[in-house]
Amino acid sequence: MSFSREIQERINRFAKEQSQNYLQDAEMTYMEKLRKKSGQTKRKIDKQLSKFKGRSNQGREAQDDMILYMSDYMNDLMSQGLTEQEAFNKASEEMKFASNSEQSEDLNERFQQYYETRDPADYEAIGLFYGGFLFLGLGIGGLIGFLTGGGYEAFFDRGWIDTAIGAGIGIIIGIGLGQITNAIIALKKR
Amino acid sequence: MDNLSEMLKGVLEGIVLEIISRGEIYGYEIVKYLTQMGFEGIAEGTVYALLMRLERNRLVNIVKKPSEIGPPRKFYTLNEQGREKLMSFWAKWDFLSSRIEILRNDGGSKHEF
Repeated sequence: MSFSREIQERINRFAKEQSQNYLQDAEMTYMEKLRKKSGQTKRKIDKQLSKFKGRSNQGREAQDDMILYMSDYMNDLMSQGLTEQEAFNKASEEMKFASNSEQSEDLNERFQQYYETRDPADYEAIGLFYGGFLFLGLGIGGLIGFLTGGGYEAFFDRGWIDTAIGAGIGIIIGIGLGQITNAIIALKKR
Repeated sequence: MDNLSEMLKGVLEGIVLEIISRGEIYGYEIVKYLTQMGFEGIAEGTVYALLMRLERNRLVNIVKKPSEIGPPRKFYTLNEQGREKLMSFWAKWDFLSSRIEILRNDGGSKHEF
């Protein structure tokens, strides 16, 4: 069964656009990748790039495969009583690329797993660890600075500088300990 | 049977490999074969994408023959790697189906596993 010229052209155009979506990046030329991403400016870029090599062998092959596959499918639909136009609409809908690559499935699974196993108590515990270590560091660092700086008598005479330095270092150590604890909790939850 | 797509997701590759193992076949012929078997719910785009994947993973040999439409038509046969993959699929299938049968028939006694 042969198609009208218009439908054949539409099949070819559809296959040219859609077949690229079934290819991996490595199978496409740089120009194909560009074309894939260009979206609305596609036609404009195509026109400009048409003088250069714009299609990989794999891209051309995928396009040919899709033309044949879609034509077979449309013939099948037409033999069941659909008009050429209806068959084209149905076939293009079915053949439209859906992002179901292994990578996207894996990513979806990981997102799902993350949200399913996400426990607010963990975040609360992590926050408390950060807060606890921060206060502990601040207290210990400040005290050491205060004592080594000369205690009460020296505090108002530059002794406060030692206290402030001690407190600052204590805060840094506290945040560091908080991060380590955060990492341990995150690893345990994997 | 309706709404089989989700269940078939993990086994469709094995089914298609088995169909290809029966002899040289081209893309849409596989869809027709599946339809005749009763797998009508399978989206045509799924089989096309699957064939691309089989080719990419080098599980099939391809011979191109002229077609009446224009571009050459690809005919698929299984290669050695494809046969190994198919055998591995059936081994997994046998394990899975036997476990499910036990689960279905044994009335819930846990020691069978």
